[in-house]
Amino acid sequence: MRNASDTRLPATTPAGSEEGGTTRSARWSRGRVARVAALVVCAVLVLSFPSMAPNAYILSAGIVVASYACTATAWNFMGGFTGYVSLGHAAFFGLGAYGTGILIRDLGLPSFVAWLLAGVLVLLVTIPLGIAALRVRGASFVIVSISFVLILLLVFQAWGSFTGGSDGLVVPRPFPDLLRPEHHRVFFYLFTALLAVMLLAWWLIDRSRFGTGLKAVREDEDKAQALGVPTRNYKLVAYVVSATFTALAGGMYALWFGDLDPIFQFSIMLGSYMVLMALFGGVRHLYGPLLGAVVVGVGLEYFKLEFGDTQLHLVATALLLGLVVLFMPDGIIPAAKALAKRFGPQDSSIREISAAELQERNLTASGTPSSTPSGTTTGRTVADDEGEDER
Amino acid sequence: MTTTTQQARSLETVGLRKSFGGVHAVQDATVTFQPGRINAVIGPNGSGKTTFFNCVTGMIKPDSGTVTYRGETITRKAPHRIARAGIGRSFQLCRVFPRMTVLENLLVAVRRTGVVELLAGARNPEEIDRARALLVRVGIDHLEDTEARNLSYGQQKLLELAGVLMADPDTIMLDEPAGGVNPALIGRIATLVQELNAEGKTFIVVEHNMELVMSLSHHVIVFDRGRPIAEGSPDVVQTDPRVLEAYLGV
Repeated sequence: MRNASDTRLPATTPAGSEEGGTTRSARWSRGRVARVAALVVCAVLVLSFPSMAPNAYILSAGIVVASYACTATAWNFMGGFTGYVSLGHAAFFGLGAYGTGILIRDLGLPSFVAWLLAGVLVLLVTIPLGIAALRVRGASFVIVSISFVLILLLVFQAWGSFTGGSDGLVVPRPFPDLLRPEHHRVFFYLFTALLAVMLLAWWLIDRSRFGTGLKAVREDEDKAQALGVPTRNYKLVAYVVSATFTALAGGMYALWFGDLDPIFQFSIMLGSYMVLMALFGGVRHLYGPLLGAVVVGVGLEYFKLEFGDTQLHLVATALLLGLVVLFMPDGIIPAAKALAKRFGPQDSSIREISAAELQERNLTASGTPSSTPSGTTTGRTVADDEGEDER
Repeated sequence: MTTTTQQARSLETVGLRKSFGGVHAVQDATVTFQPGRINAVIGPNGSGKTTFFNCVTGMIKPDSGTVTYRGETITRKAPHRIARAGIGRSFQLCRVFPRMTVLENLLVAVRRTGVVELLAGARNPEEIDRARALLVRVGIDHLEDTEARNLSYGQQKLLELAGVLMADPDTIMLDEPAGGVNPALIGRIATLVQELNAEGKTFIVVEHNMELVMSLSHHVIVFDRGRPIAEGSPDVVQTDPRVLEAYLGV
């Protein structure tokens, strides 16, 4: 149900993205109204989900999906803006979860104070870590990120006296008086609130000058640097923000689930899910990771329910993802947008616009040949050259 | 402009060296560029021009030697610091941000400092006006909302130049501005360079198109096998026996 409401989102907001608007000013107000309306509908549906969930299983599955949405969105602060693909973000999820649990156990801190403090600690740890990891790019960065989660997995398994090792770590419930359904309901809202904060932060960065710099890093890092963008610092800030939000999602998970095991917290699978969900929805879009998390998360739960006895659920997941990567490499939001455009009013393509302009310019030029401004002349020259330049 | 400020503005290198394994790409390059003029760096393929360029702009760290700009040492500084010191550059094979619009490509180059400024909206009306003026100047203003990857190669070259100008550098280094573009556009780029030079921008141009170099530049520096072998006005350099030897092997 939440799934259905979310898939409608891209369809109702054709002018939503910054990249989409060729005729921005004309459709701006209509696009904005549609976007706000879609947002309100989705928010109402999401917020009413706990009361509509038929049973506790569906409700807890909803929380899992919400936590996926948080982690995928947090990952997208790094992956989406800078294009650095981290497969090891589970490290921060695990650190946030264990940090929260251990701070409660050893220092007796109130649950949510421990949660915040764990986030701050991960933030501090990520600064030197980021400085080291961001010295490399591309595939090397992916490998560095994986190695970090594997190291932590070994440490947390081996250091049993501190982390509980493979016996697990029990995290006390923050609301001991609540019954289980109530507990689920509260955490569904907590995850949703955390997600809302992340989406707001992502939106703010996306439209900011800082965000423009980050996107330039994604497109061409050397070029960005040559234009004066301090790329290393930009990447580091994005990395730290991304890691901290991931840690907060991990800490929230610890408080909800109440039992941690290194094999699940520091898992390659979890890190891969974040990447796949973000890619699935579309990393260039605010709601991309959220949408991906809903579709993939629901899919994962469903496949587990149907084929959980065998490994077939993993095969089904892989199949789903393979199809998306093959047919919608930019994610489902751009694909849905393109589809909506085909059925919507036909925009003229770039080429057609320039051809029309060309004609107009030719007319003006022939009318007043001597007073043609230099800019116009070049515009024509360049457009004429187009065919020649294409090899 | 007085002589002293011109002196202080000059870009110079002393004993710049860079080797890749056994290949001495740049050796002992001591070069002084003339401020306020169009300087050209020429030389046969593999003579170290682009490596020299990359050492000056910080993309490659030189093994030894110094680079000074306006009396300040900029050797081994990060590329963005060198850019902020006032040196803009283009790349040999034109580089733009492919999946950003033409306008966004320019907005990247706006200098920003401080958290408040960084988190402010990227679409500042004044900056957009300035970007649009530059697009009009290079002649691609009608493509403002087009993603850069959809431009032709020639249009991308113009976009790259506009991006460099957006950062408002005093010294502009162009790596083969005429490479791979048709004659009409070469003429357009040459005119732009001359106009901008008349407005006070210093140019350092690496170029293979001799016709362009000789007609455009005031001062020519010839590289051969990693070191500068001759310099002077285009006429002088053209008849220099060392240059003829390097190019023709006579």
